[in-house]
Parts: sequence; C-alpha cells; structure tokens
Amino acid sequence: MEDQILALTAEVAAIKGAAEVTNRMFAEAYYYVTIPLMVLIHAGFLLYEMGATRLQNVLSSGVKNLLAFAFTIAAWYLFGWWFYFALPTWPLDFSAGAGYMEISGLEYANAIAWAWGDSAQYMGPNMGDNASGVFWGAFALFAATTASIASGALIERIQTVGFVICAVVLGTAAWGIAAAWGWHADGWLVTEFGYHDFGAAGLVHAVAGFFALGVLLNLGPRVGKFNADGSANHLAGHNMPLTVTGLMLIIVGFFGFLMACIILPGEGWSWYSDRATTIYGTPMTLSALAFNVPLAAAGGIIGAWVMTRDPFWMMSGCLAGIISVASGLDVYFGSTVIAVSILAGIILKPCADWLEGLGIDDAVGCVTVHGTIGLFGVVMLGILGSGVPGLGAFAPEDTVAISLFGQIVGAVVMFLLGFVPGYIVSWIVNKAGMLRIPDAVQERGLDAVKVPAQAYPQGMASPESES
Amino acid sequence: MGYFAESFTELMDADGAWMDMGMYIGAGSSAAGWWTVIAVVMLVGVLVKGNSDEQDHYK
Repeated sequence: MEDQILALTAEVAAIKGAAEVTNRMFAEAYYYVTIPLMVLIHAGFLLYEMGATRLQNVLSSGVKNLLAFAFTIAAWYLFGWWFYFALPTWPLDFSAGAGYMEISGLEYANAIAWAWGDSAQYMGPNMGDNASGVFWGAFALFAATTASIASGALIERIQTVGFVICAVVLGTAAWGIAAAWGWHADGWLVTEFGYHDFGAAGLVHAVAGFFALGVLLNLGPRVGKFNADGSANHLAGHNMPLTVTGLMLIIVGFFGFLMACIILPGEGWSWYSDRATTIYGTPMTLSALAFNVPLAAAGGIIGAWVMTRDPFWMMSGCLAGIISVASGLDVYFGSTVIAVSILAGIILKPCADWLEGLGIDDAVGCVTVHGTIGLFGVVMLGILGSGVPGLGAFAPEDTVAISLFGQIVGAVVMFLLGFVPGYIVSWIVNKAGMLRIPDAVQERGLDAVKVPAQAYPQGMASPESES
Repeated sequence: MGYFAESFTELMDADGAWMDMGMYIGAGSSAAGWWTVIAVVMLVGVLVKGNSDEQDHYK
C-alpha cells in the first residue's frame, strides 16, 4: 500500500511537472509569436509611407522608416525597458516597491532592466528565465510601432538623423513613461484615477499622434503644399495600391499587438491560475478580441467610406475604427464596437481637413488617425464604461474604477506626453540645423541627393522631378 | 452606462470558477439589444446615403 502511494505521488509530481513545462513553453511561444506579427506592422508602415511619398523621395522615406524601427529597438534595450519599470509611481513616489504589485520603482528597475551589472542576467539568454526576453521583445515592438506611427506625418522634408533623434525620444522616453503611468498595475494613472487603456489608444496612438503634431509645428510643410493665399494642394503619393496594402498589413499586425496586451494565466507573473487578463489584471479572453477587432475594422471602413469614397481614407478609417475602441476591447459589446467605430470613421476626414486648414501638413493624416481618434477612444470608454473595476485579483479593496473623469485625466496626460516632448526635441534639433531639409533639395528630390540606390528603372520619373 | 459588477469576483461562482456569462458593459440588461438596434440603423443609414450619392454619379 505504501509503495503504491509513493508511486502515485511520484506520478502526480511528474504530471504536475510536465503541465508546468507545457504551460511555460506555451506562454513563451505565445509572446514570441506576437513579435513577428508586430513586425508586420512595420512592413505595413514601410509600404504605406513609401506609397504615400512622391516618386523622387520614395527610398528616402524607406530609409527613415527602417531607421526608426532599428534605433528605437536598440534604445529600448539600453534604457526604454528601465523607464517602464522605474517610473510607474513617479513622481508621486520613486522608492522601491512603491506600488502594491512591487514590480516597479528605482531599485526594482535597476535590478532587472539595465544591460550591465547584476541586472544583465535578465537582459540576455538565461535558462532559468523564459519570460524576460519575450516580454522585452513585445515591448520593444510596441516602442518601435509608436515611433513609426509619427514617421508618416513627417515624410519628404525631415532630415534622417534629426528624425532618428525624435523617434528615439518618442519610442523610448515618451511611450515608456506613458506605459509606466497608464499601462502598469502600479502606474499612478491606474491606481489613482482608474485609467483603463487595454489596447493602448492613448498610450501608443495618442502619444505618437500628438508627438508628430509637436514636430510638425517646428518642421513646417513640404514645399508646394500650401499656396500664398493659405489654400492647400493635394500632394499625391506615387503608389496608392502600395499605401492601401500597407495599411491592411498594419491591421494584420494589430492582431499581434493586441494579443501581446494579454497576460496569460498559470505562471509566476500571472494574475490568475486559470484565466487570461489584461495588463491591469482584469479578466479577459482572446475571444473578446476575436469579436471586437474585426468588427471595429469593419465599422471604421464603413464610416470612412460614406464620408470620402476614397480607399486611402477607408483604410485609415479601418485603423481609426480599431483605435477608437482599443481602450475597451476587453469590455465592449460587439454592437457597441460597430457603432463607435462607424462614428470614428465618419469624423476622421473632417478632423484631418480641419487640421490642414490650420496650415499643418500632416502627409498621411497621422495626427488625426492616431492622435485625435486615440483620445476619442480613451474618453469614449469613460462615457460608456464608468464603474468597471480598474484592477483585478490582489487589488486593494479601495481600487478606483473606470470613470469619465479618470479617462479625461488620462487623455490630457497622453496628449501632453506626446505633444510636449515632440515640440521640445524637434525645436532643439531644429536649432541644431538637423530638422528640415532645405527647400532646394526638396524640389530636386531627396533620393537623387542622398540615397545610393534607385527605386524604379530609369525613365520612370515623376513630373515633379522632371520639372 | 455603468457596469453590472463592483468586483470581478462577482463573475465567479461559489467554487471560485468563472461563470458562463457576458462580462461586457451592459451585460444582463437590455443595453446589448439597444446597441444592436443602433448599429443596424447606422449600417442601413450608411448604405442609404452611399447609394444616394452613387446614383447621383450616374445621372
């Protein structure tokens, strides 16, 4: 009998061990897969921006886009990851373990997020740590996505290195701080105001959109965009099919982006043993995304179609539809998503036209699609979702719930976290003479001046470059 | 709009297992139906407007 009990105990232990290995490997593979899916966002941005660029500047736009991706990822490794863990309770409290989850603060960040000293063991291969790398990778792609969002607004007149400096500040500092404050269970926007932004409508999109606005104010419009009387000219990109296909690839990548916003169960870092959660520990399922993301994409396309009939704006509407409900994808009902995303698609073009009427040359509608609609989505969740508990398991009993006030506070913070750094860093870069490409070079074409490659065969030239 | 639960523990049964129920905003009320009506009206409205504009191109 005793032997049988011992054998059974050993068998149970073996089964338990096997289950733990399976769960750990599944979790590692899950987050790993989100990384190449998010790279598709960048494939989409590359096509989108190059398609929206005139023929004489195509490769220059491509170089800029690729460098935003590359430098932001490197910078995220060097200090962005540290921002995310060090600053959730700052400036309220900068001490170690200031948040109740005890995964933030200066001491904690110093222990896990620097690529030197003792913390270096968590910033490279480590057989005992299956989580740090895949989480870092997913966050690095979030950072690169944030930087690339702003890139499109600035095409055809921003210098390469000046842009890289702006992109690094946006992708690491601006987004890193936004995520620490509003996308971390210890973040003060979450714990003090109940800020909820599951799919990063404010954290990524609004921050990137309004960072771009800050840069645009110092950068100025492309040569030929505005006439002497202030009226605007439409500077058509050289390849609309490329642009629209790129936008669709961005949508594909969004599924990976949103998938990475879920915390899987059953691991040491999980909120629950049996259910996935948001980053706030509130319960959710992948099925919620499967319902709501396609519905939001559909609603955005439909709303933009009825206003514009233009495939560029319809695909921008597709993005806007998803962004408009991203904050509450975990708690919205499907029909609510359809209604909100159609509304986002409808208001998109009028908002972009209003911005252009102010003399701002946003080449791809970035400020409107990401900035304005991002804030619209954050506030809309406050209107529709007030009362939803802000944090899940282990949360203190007095945890603040989602509220309209909290979402408005979050929207204001996200606007400022984008616009202020964008304006300041581009102002400094401009003073250093590294921001705007001289008008004479813009008229000649950027590729001929600074790219040692050719986009298309000789003989294929745009009317602009010929003139 | 409001939410039907003050804590997510209300979504669990006595054994601590998650209940088979909607956990979206408006769950357990008529809100879902009203949102569906609104969505359908918007979709039909868009089609009517779209068709009206399209027919103008053919005149």
